[in-house]
Amino acid sequence: MEKLINFLLSMRWQDFIDICLNSYILFRFYVLFRGTNVFRVLIGMTVLWFFQRIAISLGLIVTSWVVQGIVAVGAIIIIVVFRNEIRRVLQAKNLKSILWGLSSKSAITPTEIIADSVFDMAHRKCGGLIVFPGKEDLSDAVQGGIPWKGMITREMITSIFWQDNPVHDGAAIVQGDQISVVGAILPLSHRDDLPSYYGTRHRAALGLADATDALVIVVSEERGDVLVAKGNRLRAIRQKRTLEQHIQEHLGIAADKKAAVRKGGLEIAAAALLSIVFITGIWFSVSRGQDTLVSLDIPVDYTNRATGTEIVSTSVKSVSLVLSGSGALVKSVTPDQVSVRLDLSSAVIGSNSLSITTDNISLPPGILLREVTPELIEVVLDETVKKQLPVQIDWAGKLSPELILLDFTMSPETIEVMGGKQILEKITTLYSEKVPLDNLSGKGEITAKIVLNPTTLKIAPGSKDKVTIQYLIQKRE
Amino acid sequence: MCEEVVDNTPSNPTMVFSAGKEKAVCFSLFDPVPQKTVIYHNWYHRDIPSARIQLTLNPPRWSTHSSIQLRKTDIGPWRVEITNEKGKVLGVLRFSVTD
Repeated sequence: MEKLINFLLSMRWQDFIDICLNSYILFRFYVLFRGTNVFRVLIGMTVLWFFQRIAISLGLIVTSWVVQGIVAVGAIIIIVVFRNEIRRVLQAKNLKSILWGLSSKSAITPTEIIADSVFDMAHRKCGGLIVFPGKEDLSDAVQGGIPWKGMITREMITSIFWQDNPVHDGAAIVQGDQISVVGAILPLSHRDDLPSYYGTRHRAALGLADATDALVIVVSEERGDVLVAKGNRLRAIRQKRTLEQHIQEHLGIAADKKAAVRKGGLEIAAAALLSIVFITGIWFSVSRGQDTLVSLDIPVDYTNRATGTEIVSTSVKSVSLVLSGSGALVKSVTPDQVSVRLDLSSAVIGSNSLSITTDNISLPPGILLREVTPELIEVVLDETVKKQLPVQIDWAGKLSPELILLDFTMSPETIEVMGGKQILEKITTLYSEKVPLDNLSGKGEITAKIVLNPTTLKIAPGSKDKVTIQYLIQKRE
Repeated sequence: MCEEVVDNTPSNPTMVFSAGKEKAVCFSLFDPVPQKTVIYHNWYHRDIPSARIQLTLNPPRWSTHSSIQLRKTDIGPWRVEITNEKGKVLGVLRFSVTD
């Protein structure tokens, strides 16, 4: 218990936000796509992904490759195959309902009105086809149709299937409490075991019911019968109540509305809880999973050095860090994501012993510091001073044996440099870069850069960093 | 700086000596010399002391010289600081030893 508390205390506030944010994103996916085929396929893909992780951890190389390939191809297939369903989900909702709204099943289909209307039409021998989609997307099975989006009323159903209405031969599709499409053309069944008195409406109803999980109500124009097609069955219905029950059963509408609301609430709560558990599991497996170690050599940055001082020497240029974390995170750590900064604001002129603590080390999230070598760094600071130094040309190469460098002048003869006081006290001469003699003869002018040694020296502002040499070479007497 | 001193006169004055030559000579002339004085020719190869040669000056006017033998390892910039007994720098001569 104590371990658990210590572990929770070691988590940062960013970690809690990380888990909450991703849990909410997952929960929103559930809310938006629940009941669709996309959701079911996504669950399948998630199971495959877990299977792949297990295969990797067990060292099943080929299996993990195959599953990885299936997951990758599956992701593309989802987008291509279910593009209509995805578009429908996203188009049907505004931004607020995508980010916040909870229920997409709030519209309850008025089954009583539909049953009344259907038997009324049957009584008057007015033919009709009414489709109640299940969980499957019908866009591939149904052709044509006119968007309607009208609230379901007895008068509206009667008018849609009125003989003089241009869309009365097609099917009406019911979505929630609306008729979303009218005049839709359904696929015809080619079964040869159907009674001869079944007309095109019956074959259309069976065709769609056979191909999808939709429920289709047929009102026979000739016989005034009411039939319900579901799966590969077409059954006659004689009672309004029976028809109502069929529709309610198909749509999952509970007789007890309070129980239905409670069930919906529990479903949402369970989904929210599962999202948190799932994301927390992933978070722990990624950030606190297998304890992998890595060693990195990181150069030390020295900050907040007092003005007028400079670093003369340090005991080390870089420190070795041993880092730990989950395999995935540790493998992705690069040296540029890690920094070691030593604050020199309290350092004094002379030798300073500074210890490296976790405060000096910046690490990517989820990575822990195990060891620092060395833990102590010696930094020697010096006062920055300026000094005017004579320049000496570093001649190199070889003159012809009969020639002699008689004289040369250079400008400037001295150059001002800046550097540590202790260093500059020991330096009496600045040397130029090597100036080759090989191709020189007679009179001439050349320039040479100044070589600063040690490299901590700097040319003082306003001073030149090179000299101009005017030489005179003559024949030996 | 010269390659040699002949009859108390510098011969072949130069700023660059080939390591193939025998020696480099630092010739110094003091005028006037009020009293017998000791001076030093301090030879430095890239700021590292290489030789310290004591010389005596006599009134009223005196020239004197010191030299070093040149070897392949002597390649690089050199200077000769001429100082008095107390270490005061009286003059600096610079030259290079090349291939």
